[in-house]
Amino acid sequence: MHVKSERNDDWSSLLSEVGSNRDRAAFIRLFKHFAPLIKGYSLSKTPRDMGVENSDELVQEVMLKVWQKAPYFDSRKAAASTWIYTIARNCRIDLLRRGAKHQNTGLEADDVWQPDEDNEPYSLLQHSRDHDSIKSCFRQLPVEQSHILTKVYMEGKSHSEVASELDLPLGTVKSRVRLALKKLQVMLRG
Amino acid sequence: MMVKHHPNENLLAEYAAGSLPFGLSIGISAHLHFCSHCQHRLEQLNSLGGSLLEEGQSVPVDEGLLDKLMARIDNPIEMPASSASRFNLPGVVEKLVPDLKALRWRRLSPSLKVSRLNTGQDRYEVALHKISRGGKVAEHGHRGQEVTVVLKGSFSDDDGVYTPGDFLLREPGDIHRPRATQNQDCLCLSVVEAPVSLTGWFYRLLNPFLGFKPS
Ligand SMILES: [Zn+2]
Repeated sequence: MHVKSERNDDWSSLLSEVGSNRDRAAFIRLFKHFAPLIKGYSLSKTPRDMGVENSDELVQEVMLKVWQKAPYFDSRKAAASTWIYTIARNCRIDLLRRGAKHQNTGLEADDVWQPDEDNEPYSLLQHSRDHDSIKSCFRQLPVEQSHILTKVYMEGKSHSEVASELDLPLGTVKSRVRLALKKLQVMLRG
Repeated sequence: MMVKHHPNENLLAEYAAGSLPFGLSIGISAHLHFCSHCQHRLEQLNSLGGSLLEEGQSVPVDEGLLDKLMARIDNPIEMPASSASRFNLPGVVEKLVPDLKALRWRRLSPSLKVSRLNTGQDRYEVALHKISRGGKVAEHGHRGQEVTVVLKGSFSDDDGVYTPGDFLLREPGDIHRPRATQNQDCLCLSVVEAPVSLTGWFYRLLNPFLGFKPS
């Protein structure tokens, strides 16, 4: 019997309930919390012409996958929000690729952004601390750095897209991203 | 087995954010198969994404959405059967190459063969390269960004020896002269940026090494 280190955050234990007991009430609570966040995430990228219906469709697709994949959720490896983020990211990539009429090769975001292979959790302690503090560390970043990270993650913009939008040299964007990530790592260790 | 060459922080962050072009992401994905170090870096970058999701704007969803969804979850779940690894290659490569033995190779020089993979996008050319044991590739430059991930065997150039999992990023203009090691063929995944001016049908007939003299 190995020692389990469950995460403390409520969403992760609800998600574990959905996974192990197929608990609908827990799933509905997750939906009420995460669906509006996923919609916000979707709208920050989705081109205007794809419209709001597509955002609702994305929310539905993501939450359906949350229900289906919940049995594979391992709270020792990731927080619920991180796990749901990766599902939303992959669904958004697929939605945008379909919108751009890519040739269908059967290759989907899940094949390229594959969920963790069977690697063991890195260090359980490290993990839960990372997530608890990453948010507060993020708020301490200089605005010019956190702004760019938000564009890269939420708006799904590549470094060069951010550079042309903000009228900055590509090298500046790259170094701000590196600095921000380095600072986050230092703060997390410290 | 130690992987020595890793994608830089910017590439990995763009990958975690889902903003890295699809073609390059295939290269990162292949590297991750071999590299637990980068898997852990990625976990951190993913959890940044999770935090940003939680901190992001919250937009009310359509009222009927929950009911629609609850009706859908009653349907039996069909999860794709996890395909067993057949060639001990990264998952994304096995998905792209159903049968390694049935691949059609094109000979570029006595010691170099290429097989292009269809990935549904043409911004990056994704291909497998095979250098036969002891073979050399003529010195060549790169016309665009190029990612190489060693899948089997090894090769070397003037900068060092590269073994399975090693991830190399070359910028336009970099010149190198790869050669396979003596005892084994070398299989690599390569992802090459297609120059904007050369994306027509004609370009598709070309390949990264065309025009270089065989050695
Ligand atoms: Zn690595």
